[in-house]
Amino acid sequence: MKSIGRLWNSLANPDRIPRLFALILGIVLIAGLFIPLALDNQQLYPRPAPQEQINAQDPLAPYDRGGTPFVERGIVKAQYPQYAPAIGEITAYLSPIAISVKNTTLYYGTSIYSSPGGLIDEILYYTRGFDTVLESSILMMAFVIASWIALNFTMRRDDD
Amino acid sequence: MDITILGSQIIGIIPLGDIVFYFTQFNLFMFATALAFTAIIAISKTETQVEAEFGKLGDRAVTVAKKEFKIRRFLAIICGLATAGAMITGDLFDFTLFVCLTGIVNIGIVGAVRQVDVLDAAYQYGLIAMMASLPLFGGAALILAATGTISLLAINTLAYTTPMMILGSILLFIGVAGETGVAPFFATKAEMFRTPGSPFLLIIHLSSLLILVRLIEILLIINKPF
Repeated sequence: MKSIGRLWNSLANPDRIPRLFALILGIVLIAGLFIPLALDNQQLYPRPAPQEQINAQDPLAPYDRGGTPFVERGIVKAQYPQYAPAIGEITAYLSPIAISVKNTTLYYGTSIYSSPGGLIDEILYYTRGFDTVLESSILMMAFVIASWIALNFTMRRDDD
Repeated sequence: MDITILGSQIIGIIPLGDIVFYFTQFNLFMFATALAFTAIIAISKTETQVEAEFGKLGDRAVTVAKKEFKIRRFLAIICGLATAGAMITGDLFDFTLFVCLTGIVNIGIVGAVRQVDVLDAAYQYGLIAMMASLPLFGGAALILAATGTISLLAINTLAYTTPMMILGSILLFIGVAGETGVAPFFATKAEMFRTPGSPFLLIIHLSSLLILVRLIEILLIINKPF
């Protein structure tokens, strides 16, 4: 009994908890290597075969979903199509700047400026739009906390 | 609505594209609890401690500066709203994002206390929360790969459980434990609950409790042990 008490006491030190957590996580991850891979073929968000669009010299690779804005729908799948009636209609929209960039380089689809006003990703902004809202709020809260701590040094350790 | 999840009827849904919030009697109760507690926190005042002075008969009130009090209340309200959202979401990835938001706000609440012991504990907690985001999102991704969907309503209709779904569930559990589950441990170790300005810190306990209950419901939906 005494040794169990000593074990609990050693766990009561906050420094040891991250190590214990990392150890458990490492054991589970290593054990996970022996789990047989069973992937489902009917994925909700399908992707083209790797390098297929790049080998076809498509400047929008790997995000080319086809279609013409408001005329012909692009290939975008949704879990609940009844809640997304306009799906695929604007997925091919490109702003004038985006079109000029697309005409000059083959790597437009993989560059950072392809998202805002360029390739509108309907999975990000339409079918799964709430995720994008949450992701930005996580980022915002991180900045709020970091800037608050930077502005009012929570504790000046030299004075303590 | 003739879908049943874990024996309870779905009362209603809020569709936001692919992300569908659903209400059953069970998670509606937890949602209402989280919102009610958040409302109480939003209107409550900070606790003041009275310490006896040594060698004299006087008392000394220990209060929290308004600046510190305001940021803690703000973070506590965000934490309550994120917890309430995690209660009703019907999407696994959305759930992990709510848990992540709760975790980062918890770090903020613990880190905004002006005591060295508390800050040391907050640092360790931050390390765990950073490590935990790997199994949290990795577990959700494994479940997506194994089932082809991350909507809980769609997973509920699947008839099978593969070993990969179990591995994903274990990783998800470790991730949630790291993001929110260990927060009360650090808060209690640093004796924050009886420090000045404490009522806001109780949201850490409430959020981790509710999120763990909800996680167990989600794991039962995914793995269907019955």
